[in-house]
Amino acid sequence: MNGTENLVKRLPTEMGGLDAGPVQRVEHEYAPWEKRCHALANVLDIHKIINTEEKRRGIEALGAEMVEKLTYYERWIVAFANILFQKEILTPEELAKKMEEVAARHQGAQHNE
Amino acid sequence: MQPHDDDHGHAKTTVQDDPPPSYYEVMETSVRELLVEKEVIGADEIRHMLEVMDSRTPALGAKIVARAWVDPEFKARLLANGRTACEELGIDFFEDTQFLVLENTEKVHNLLVCTLCSCYPREILGLPPDWYKQKPYRARAVKEPRALLAEFGTVIPDDVEIRVNDSTAMLRYMVLPQRPEGTENFTEEQLASLVTRDAMIGIVRANTPNRKEQSR
Repeated sequence: MNGTENLVKRLPTEMGGLDAGPVQRVEHEYAPWEKRCHALANVLDIHKIINTEEKRRGIEALGAEMVEKLTYYERWIVAFANILFQKEILTPEELAKKMEEVAARHQGAQHNE
Repeated sequence: MQPHDDDHGHAKTTVQDDPPPSYYEVMETSVRELLVEKEVIGADEIRHMLEVMDSRTPALGAKIVARAWVDPEFKARLLANGRTACEELGIDFFEDTQFLVLENTEKVHNLLVCTLCSCYPREILGLPPDWYKQKPYRARAVKEPRALLAEFGTVIPDDVEIRVNDSTAMLRYMVLPQRPEGTENFTEEQLASLVTRDAMIGIVRANTPNRKEQSR
């Protein structure tokens, strides 16, 4: 046994019944982009573009390492992008180009000081 | 943070102290803008949804619980069909999910969890606390609920059955806590003030009148 069989037996999101330590009673204020990400999820659900099952499967499809290392809404937005590619609503090229544009917009704002 | 030495009074300088957005925030902005440009979603829909989300807080759940405590007929309708009973109170649902309210009694204590992800009655209670979404709670709720409840200060007698309700994408639960003793003369509003978010998750009981500030 080298432990990899657990990657096969359980989805990375399947937590029920595992051993775990005490609950850390943490709460954080949601960042504005996290709330927007959640609102986007709700709107996509209302439009019947991504439902909750698809969302969960999209997160499972990120694999154990990403599920462990990304934060909650980081997982969501990456999963949404992948699902929107699969449904051919967006293309990876479009998103890459738009992300450059958005990042440049913020840099531009800083240079204008 | 940069000093404001080169601030010439331009409006744009007000953003200079904001850290640059993370890779993921840039992705969120980009996905949203592309979907609007392609007219997959409307430009105002996200803003409108944010307003709706902000209106969903545990106070809404507390109002439902207090009504059920004072109005047995409403309670019966609530337990029979959570969705239509909430709609009576003017609460509309935007997700296509069932809503099941679970009554705690002297014999049964209900607890909510989502072992697979983070399903939660968001349309009533708003966004869940972080601990609800994290591994220790999700892992242990279905295995050792009594120990978990005790960690939150909730000791359930051995002769009371604990039911752990694992939420799904299609079915959301909320706990109807037991009405605390000593509240016979309370108004509906006073009763609602005893009902916390955590009591509607089932991890604590509703507050008693003299321990009001104990939990969230």
